[in-house]
Amino acid sequence: MVATIESTSVADRVAASLRRHGIPPTPDNYALWYEYHGGRNASLKHTIDAIISNHGEFDENTLEDLHLCFFSLAREKKAIRDTSARVLETLKEVVFVASDAGADARQFGLALNDFASSAFGQRIVNLQQLIEELVQESQRMAGQSEYVSTRMRQSADKIERLEQNLEEALRDASLDGLTGIANRRTFDQTLRRLAGETMNSGDDLGLLMVDIDHFKLVNDQWGHQTGDLVLQHLAGILQKSVRGEDLVARYGGEEFAVLLPRTDLEATVIVGENVRQVLRRELQQGSANNTVAVTVSIGAAVYDFGEPLPEWVARADHALYCAKQAGRDCVRSA
Amino acid sequence: MCDQLEIDAAKARGRCLIVDDSPTVRRIAGRILRGFGLEVDEAEDGQLALEACVRSMPGTILLDWNMPVMDGIEFLRALRETDGGDAPRVVLCTTQTDVDHVQQAFDAGADEYIMKPFDAAMLREKVFGVAVGLGAGR
Repeated sequence: MVATIESTSVADRVAASLRRHGIPPTPDNYALWYEYHGGRNASLKHTIDAIISNHGEFDENTLEDLHLCFFSLAREKKAIRDTSARVLETLKEVVFVASDAGADARQFGLALNDFASSAFGQRIVNLQQLIEELVQESQRMAGQSEYVSTRMRQSADKIERLEQNLEEALRDASLDGLTGIANRRTFDQTLRRLAGETMNSGDDLGLLMVDIDHFKLVNDQWGHQTGDLVLQHLAGILQKSVRGEDLVARYGGEEFAVLLPRTDLEATVIVGENVRQVLRRELQQGSANNTVAVTVSIGAAVYDFGEPLPEWVARADHALYCAKQAGRDCVRSA
Repeated sequence: MCDQLEIDAAKARGRCLIVDDSPTVRRIAGRILRGFGLEVDEAEDGQLALEACVRSMPGTILLDWNMPVMDGIEFLRALRETDGGDAPRVVLCTTQTDVDHVQQAFDAGADEYIMKPFDAAMLREKVFGVAVGLGAGR
């Protein structure tokens, strides 16, 4: 009876943790947090507590790493996936050998089919057996038929397309859909990373907060499509105004942020001024009689070592507010 | 105030040794910790830190990971093997934020883990073991 009550409350705590940290309630994640709240794995608890107390994020990578670290079955599953991936890679190379020779190999094709359909569900021992059988088959059938080449070239093409899709999906998750620049999440992660690095190096780290003036008016007067074009154009100007190591991100609806490593306050303000002037020059909206320039207000602030990151961003935001108060279309520094 | 009790307890543990190859980190952390009333010493790498500990074991150690000559984990393992090396409260303080590194640190004998960049509140929480602004539970 007592055991039942205990496990109910653990289940409650697990559900609460998943909710609090925005973690998808998959069986793997549930198992991880059950271990955490169950209290038997001190190392796991210590590690997760360190992440929580450092305001870390439980994103897909972190969750996967936690699984790999603390659950041996997860390590096995990953090893199987890695092995299968390597085998498929090897098979791609066999295609080139096979296409040169051109003999018949229906049996090889069947063996390949068997392998492909059973590979991912197998335990490592069985997988090794399958691989050995397949290697023997392919050695026996080396220099094979068009049938094999075609089948395998198709598999290879499919693998490449899937890999491309995966790469694109990963990229998309870090980018803003409309402008193609970094999104808010990427900005937050990069802010932390760069601030940590700059704390070590002692270099300056500059931040610009860029906000379009009277953006609501732009949308109301010229329509949302025009508003979107303005956003895209500003994103383009920002990207052209910075170096490779700088980060341009869409911070909010009409607000952009720029991170500038190794840039002091004076230089940061100069970059801001450049952007302000280029935008003013390039963006005119309206009919021939009634031309309105779209302008931006900009706030600048350099990271103060040991300062909480939200405070640094707030200082830049406050400088932006001062720029608005000063009449807009200008740059102010914290 | 219960915070003050914790801080007094930390001071009673002894001096704090900051081990980091970055002069900026040593300066900033030193300023913050001295501001809390701790007496602070500095070492640029694990080797110098080990020598300092052998001379006089500190109560608390703020330890960087990546350093020349001897890195943080090597130092930590060596420290825990020396006489009295179990005593200091060791707080790893590093830009490495992934699960592997965190687990390695605890396995090697760290008491706490701070991800750079840190601020005064984080240092206070981890060095003194004071949960700022939080109650008994989270």
